Amino acid sequence: MKLILPPGVSRARFEQALKAFASVVGPEWVLATDEDRETYLDVYSPGRDTSHAASAAVAPASVEQVQALLKIANEFRIPLWPISRGKNFGYGGAAPRMAGTVMLDMGRMNRIIEVNDKLGYCILEPGVGFFDLWEHLKSNKIALQLGIPGNGWGSVVGNALERGFSPAGDHSNNICGLEIVLPNGEVVRTGMGAMGDGKAWPLFKHGFGPSWDQMVVQGNLAIVTKLCLWMKPADEAAISIEIKLPKPSDLQWCVEALAPLRLQGVIDGLVRLTSYQASATVPTLRNQWYQGSDSIPDDVIAQMMQRMNVGWWNGPLRLAGFSDVCEANLKRVLERLAKFTKQEFPVTRMRGDAQPGPTTYPLQMVNWYGGRGGHIGYSPVMPADPKLVQEQFERTRRRYQQFGLDYSGTFYIDGRAATNVNLILYSKDDEEQKQRVRQLFEALIKDAREQGYGEYRTHLSYMDNVAASYDFNRNALLKLNERVKDAIDPNGIIAPGRNGIWPKAYRAHRGVL
Amino acid sequence: MKQLLVLLALAMPALGLAEDLSASQLAGQKVFAHRCGMCHREGGTGTFVLARRLGAAQSLLEQRTDLQPETIRYVVRWGLTNMPRLSRVEVPDPDMNQLVAYLTRPRPAAAP
Ligand SMILES: Cc1cc2nc3c(=O)[nH]c(=O)nc-3n(C[C@H](O)[C@H](O)[C@H](O)COP(=O)(O)OP(=O)(O)OC[C@H]3O[C@@H](n4cnc5c(N)ncnc54)[C@H](O)[C@@H]3O)c2cc1C
Repeated sequence: MKLILPPGVSRARFEQALKAFASVVGPEWVLATDEDRETYLDVYSPGRDTSHAASAAVAPASVEQVQALLKIANEFRIPLWPISRGKNFGYGGAAPRMAGTVMLDMGRMNRIIEVNDKLGYCILEPGVGFFDLWEHLKSNKIALQLGIPGNGWGSVVGNALERGFSPAGDHSNNICGLEIVLPNGEVVRTGMGAMGDGKAWPLFKHGFGPSWDQMVVQGNLAIVTKLCLWMKPADEAAISIEIKLPKPSDLQWCVEALAPLRLQGVIDGLVRLTSYQASATVPTLRNQWYQGSDSIPDDVIAQMMQRMNVGWWNGPLRLAGFSDVCEANLKRVLERLAKFTKQEFPVTRMRGDAQPGPTTYPLQMVNWYGGRGGHIGYSPVMPADPKLVQEQFERTRRRYQQFGLDYSGTFYIDGRAATNVNLILYSKDDEEQKQRVRQLFEALIKDAREQGYGEYRTHLSYMDNVAASYDFNRNALLKLNERVKDAIDPNGIIAPGRNGIWPKAYRAHRGVL
Repeated sequence: MKQLLVLLALAMPALGLAEDLSASQLAGQKVFAHRCGMCHREGGTGTFVLARRLGAAQSLLEQRTDLQPETIRYVVRWGLTNMPRLSRVEVPDPDMNQLVAYLTRPRPAAAP
């Protein structure tokens, strides 16, 4: 990727800034060749590579280096976008919102500072991956559970800062204290960590006064250098109930049956219901099933369900805890399901610590069309109301069909809210299809807004659209976020445009791709 | 899927052959385990996609004898099909050299 300079910075000033960065981290940790820039592109993006092309990357090894880099960035007006491991595929990968931004790659800061199995937490640096933490837990026989996203290649910290989630729930809910570096280089510890040597830093979320952890999550006010995360002790026992529903319309009664049990805490974690498609996209290629350029038709779907031995909606329900409690909960769940269907649901009993480790297996689905694959996720949050969930599914599927793309959706039911993660898969080399993907995405954002639903997270290219859809009192919250941004980061050097929050220096870039 | 697992199981003993690795190859093996292994060892997504594209015999990179240094360097930095790219923070140049040394190591002639 040819160099695109940060806005308003001359080539000479840019080179000077890189030299100054190199004096802090060493020249080998300032990456600025054309090939380096390629490695920070969002390879799955449905748009143009140049929209989110970084100009360089710089990789600090310590908090002091982060402070020094911020000082230089302020002096030279170089915007920096932090990534922990940069595996945010489907939402932008390792790329920045604004072309020309320099990536602040935190991957070298990768210490597991502490894992405490008595009090159930860990303290991590950003570069620690799910695989690293998993290996640490296993090799030290630590009986704590980890919420692992479908793509386990990323960073525990980066994922939590994106509000990533898994069936274990919203990972950002487990954040309990951060160490952050502000744009002016000042190091702050949040919550109980605000007290020098505060003993309850990873234990009590709020400390004294306003709570700042969530100001940083999905925001652009600071660089996170340490994150304390709660972890749940391993359960004694777990029971998996295999849900496999034959018809698309079964979604409604299933949500009606299960959402109340989730709210009451009978079911462990989120209730996950996934359409048939996921079972095929991972192990097979599309052309094994269908050659048409429209959305896969119902008769082919029926074949897929039969051959892959799945239902239209699928999901293991998990009960976990003490074994006698699990058995009692199982009885409750099966009684409740029996009120809605005569269908039988296979039950598997297992040890509570038999949690599967991280994998990258789901990444295979990006190969659905063969060749170079692309993927983005569309993920609105809505009420866990059975009728509304059914309607949301049907509306979304109709949109996929309208634009000739294969529907692939999951509903994660959390008792009160449902998060509806939809995967859009395409070929990176099919410009006409990518055009339809972009049209679909815009239509989906609009549909959700009309219903009063909003995305919990989105791809770089849609951050402005989604931020605009949060429009109460003429986007009063976005304006507040930008006032705070300007106050804390007057030169706008940290992640301009993240989640639609633009500092005044770059506000003209809103909507520019 | 089952077929693939059987083929992989058959290939396993080959992995068990003790090889004398040079210091740089050994270091490359570590780089492979840490940076590539999650996708490119048995059961990994990269192994699966390679098996689908080139056949099971070509799917485990550590067993391949036909990998060229330039190919390895290119694929790591530019990706392939749905494989994302790895930056020089994740695989710095010295690690890349070790990785190449490991994946292109001369192998004892295969038993007939
Ligand atoms: C097939 C597939 C399945 C997936 N399944 C899931 C899933 O089940 N659940 C899920 O949550 N995601 C899923 N993802 C999305 C994504 O891959 C993961 O969320 C991944 O963990 C994010 O990458 P990362 O952890 O490396 O974070 P990063 O890319 O490092 O960080 C994400 C963002 O957080 C911010 N950030 C990161 N580090 C810092 C820091 N130190 N200071 C300040 N800000 C920072 C930046 O804005 C950065 O862009 C999936 C993706 C694919 C392709």
